[in-house]
Amino acid sequence: MKTERELELYFGPQHIGMVGNFSITLKVEGDRIIEASANPGYLHRGFEKLMEYRTWIQNFPMVCRINVIEPDSMEMVYAMAVEKLAKIEVPERANYIRTIVLELARLTSHLFGCWAYANMLGFDTVAQWAMYHRDLLLDLFEELTGARVYHIYIWPGGVRRDIPKGFKDRVLNTLHTIGSCIPDYDNTFFNNRLFYKRAKNIGKISKDEAKKLGATGQILRAAGIKYDIRKVEPYAVYDKVNFEIPTREDGDAYSRVWVIRDEMIQSVHIIMQCFEKMPQGEVYNRVPNPFKWKIPKGETYVRVESSRGELGLYLVSNGEDKPYRVHFRTPSYPHGLIILEKLLKNASIADVGNIMISLYVVAPEIDR
Amino acid sequence: MDRTNIKKWLKTPDKMSQKYSLWAVYFCTGCGIIEIPPVITSRWDAERFGVIPVATPRQANLFLITGYVSLKTLKAIIRTYELMPDPKYTVGFGSCPINGGMYWDSYNTIKHLDKYIPVDGWIAGCMPRPEAIFIAVTHLWTMIDKEMATGYKRYKENYEYYRHNQERLFGKLEWPPLYPINEEKTEGEGN
Amino acid sequence: MRKKQKVKGIKMEKLKDEIASIFKEIKVNIAQDTKLIISAKKEQVLNLLRFLKDKGYNHLALISCVDWIEEKEFELVYILGSYLEKGGKGHIILKTRIHRKKPKFKTIIPIFENAEPYEREIHELFGVDFEGHPRLTHLFLERDYKIPPFRKDFDTREYVKEVFEKIPFVEDKK
Repeated sequence: MKTERELELYFGPQHIGMVGNFSITLKVEGDRIIEASANPGYLHRGFEKLMEYRTWIQNFPMVCRINVIEPDSMEMVYAMAVEKLAKIEVPERANYIRTIVLELARLTSHLFGCWAYANMLGFDTVAQWAMYHRDLLLDLFEELTGARVYHIYIWPGGVRRDIPKGFKDRVLNTLHTIGSCIPDYDNTFFNNRLFYKRAKNIGKISKDEAKKLGATGQILRAAGIKYDIRKVEPYAVYDKVNFEIPTREDGDAYSRVWVIRDEMIQSVHIIMQCFEKMPQGEVYNRVPNPFKWKIPKGETYVRVESSRGELGLYLVSNGEDKPYRVHFRTPSYPHGLIILEKLLKNASIADVGNIMISLYVVAPEIDR
Repeated sequence: MDRTNIKKWLKTPDKMSQKYSLWAVYFCTGCGIIEIPPVITSRWDAERFGVIPVATPRQANLFLITGYVSLKTLKAIIRTYELMPDPKYTVGFGSCPINGGMYWDSYNTIKHLDKYIPVDGWIAGCMPRPEAIFIAVTHLWTMIDKEMATGYKRYKENYEYYRHNQERLFGKLEWPPLYPINEEKTEGEGN
Repeated sequence: MRKKQKVKGIKMEKLKDEIASIFKEIKVNIAQDTKLIISAKKEQVLNLLRFLKDKGYNHLALISCVDWIEEKEFELVYILGSYLEKGGKGHIILKTRIHRKKPKFKTIIPIFENAEPYEREIHELFGVDFEGHPRLTHLFLERDYKIPPFRKDFDTREYVKEVFEKIPFVEDKK
């Protein structure tokens, strides 16, 4: 029933609080939101249709542009699916290098999330630090793969080239630089009383709601469910390294950000163990003439734990040199379209940005 | 640097004050947005060039269109551009606004941004490095000095043709025309 | 060779036999040690989903659609995982076929609440009508197309030539 005080507001694409090209339509009465509906589609390119016109190898530069913040996990899931259908083996050293690259990408993505969230709350100092440390990691990527953002490094059959000399020392130095700043981060942001007051009990989701609405990733772990694809269905070398899965009990924005902080520390442990255990050997199993490559008929579904949740790929091949159907299951799809609308009901307008960025919704993943 | 050159300030104060405080609208249009936070934070500090992000288009005079443009985004871009006050400058960032880039055969992206709003300069690359943005800003300063960055004047003079292109793509537009339209110029065009 | 993981709870073999005994006329096979692929008729899909949800597969990961234009059919694909509460590792792929001319199907929102945006997307991009869905409005696209864009008979390169390339540059017009 429409009362006289009801208004329709657009938290639209051009807004100082919006990270990414996404829009929400809010029906408000005074300061309280009655109904929220998400408007995706500002970044829709029709990716899955375009990939049917290009050969298997030509699709590699396309795949990493779906999630701009962490492109390595998209390359990994596409390479895994192609290897499963074409029955290609990956050498052991390549698996270790893939794990190191994926964990470095997870670190950069979490630091980007820290920048966005700290900026939203007004902690500008911590935001500048997080971006600076992320840039040091991008320097490492540039040395290894040649580009800062879109790497195209994980290939079906292994990785494109071996790690250069002295790379291990540079990685460990950079991680030591970032790690020694963690007490500063804690004192300024994570243990801050103001952050506690602003984020406690905001955007609260219970265990049963999270399971019913299809959440994965930090939303589950912050609600108390210990579920991580790296432990349930290990890929690369995750079954050979020791790490823990941090969880919290409350399910609100405060717990989600703390889970991110603990995960960053676990990533550093994984990278150090991988460097110790890495064997010598080849990094690439040659594929015979990749430009005229035909993959046998079949279908498969593979999944990977990206920094936001479960990233999956459903791939159908018809025996030709182009894919027949490609469908990405991205983690931000249920988070941004279902969970966001549920959590924004009865919230106040001042908390919209807080809730949206603590769910870590990335707009190009929804639209593809 | 001519920032401290008093004679030049006294001769052309309007150009000097526009050059050294280009305020950019905060609008994350495409995938190029991944290189903008490093540019505006402390490592590649853009504030020493005078460029800071601002909240609304009414306060801005630089529009950085980062990455590809889909149909829904183009409507938002046209409205934002028309809200900015004169003089204003547009820079296309990445290879996608130039000629479609990697998505040249997509049904939902536009291929040439130049047909719908005037663009003063392009930055090539996928993604361009942060240094490329600073080189573009210094090129824009030279163009402002020599009066070559006249995108906003071209928009006013040829507004009928731009509006006709926009209507050809979208059908009837929901907002009224910005400048009065002279119907005779576009009469001879077929649909 | 990787170590074989201990499968807690229900093993795939037992599940496969159980399904084959309860539901007639469906094809079940196990592929690559943690995946079960089931092809069923469209009338059995809702009952199968309820059965699998009770067995512990309560996470709907994806609803997808494949256009087999030569056989004149659409294939709807439901992919289920589990949160490891009652058991069941790995995931299940459930496929069914519907007609390509005037495609319709029932919605599964009563069973899995998070199916709403997946069905909305398939309706917009393939043209499949879901009966009982509360809001089948536009999600991604800005306009209506004559043929829904993800079908195999929609040629995007022809569309781009017709719509975008015919708009002239402003300098050419003067």
